[in-house]
Amino acid sequence: MNEAAPAFLIALEASAVGHAIRQSIWIYPSANVLHVVALALFAGAVTVLDLRLLGAFAGTRPADVIRPARRVAVAALLLLAGTGFVLFVAEASHVAMNPVFQAKGLLIAAGVLNALVVARLPADFDRLDAGSAIPSRLRSAAMVSIAIWLAVAAAGRLIAYV
Amino acid sequence: MRAKLIAAAVVLSAVAAAPSIAHHGWGSYDASKPVTVAGKILTSKYENPHTTLTVQTAEKVWTVTLAPVSRMQTRGAIAEMVGVGKEISAYGYPSTVEKDEIRAERITVEGKTVEMR
Repeated sequence: MNEAAPAFLIALEASAVGHAIRQSIWIYPSANVLHVVALALFAGAVTVLDLRLLGAFAGTRPADVIRPARRVAVAALLLLAGTGFVLFVAEASHVAMNPVFQAKGLLIAAGVLNALVVARLPADFDRLDAGSAIPSRLRSAAMVSIAIWLAVAAAGRLIAYV
Repeated sequence: MRAKLIAAAVVLSAVAAAPSIAHHGWGSYDASKPVTVAGKILTSKYENPHTTLTVQTAEKVWTVTLAPVSRMQTRGAIAEMVGVGKEISAYGYPSTVEKDEIRAERITVEGKTVEMR
């Protein structure tokens, strides 16, 4: 227990749920495995989506690529959040005070915010036909997206080494 | 372009935010200064992500971090082997962050040695 952590995180780690996660042989490793599998799905979907916004697969209508890719990304993100919560609760007071975990949290917020902004941009990809140029702000947002999510993945693995 | 600059700044600050508080992995343990902690087990948490003991030696109380539960069991280091009151000898590396903590490379209890890595 890291006494420097906020009281509610110490309570969360000490809770019956936290205890159950640590005591079980399979819950923690399963969450860990599923977290990585979900990350693979998420990274694949996000990369396809962002590459389309950057002008790849120019023979397709952007919406035909982006819509299914986004559904997979959202589903994978929910799985990431769920399994991530299990991993977090087991060591909440320690992990919350880890600077890389804190950076990861901010990066995730930035990534989600970026995605929400893209979804609301007036120059919507919905109206774009195959081969038409992607508006520069969508291209910029796609580059930001790839950079942020790669940094999130790197930060996630680095938590264990700081 | 400004968006790209912001992205680069975010990534760089994430990388720069690195050193300080620790836990887990072998990265924050100094393998160049191996120590052997030998003594009686005071407390034993046989749980994930790592089994953790406190061990009373002649000088002080050490925290000894072992392997995840499934690996402990696979290798025959069941909960009873590292139970409270057992005499243990743990060879490992001191944490560069936590005071008086080692991550054990191997442990020996009652003549039985188990590798933790």
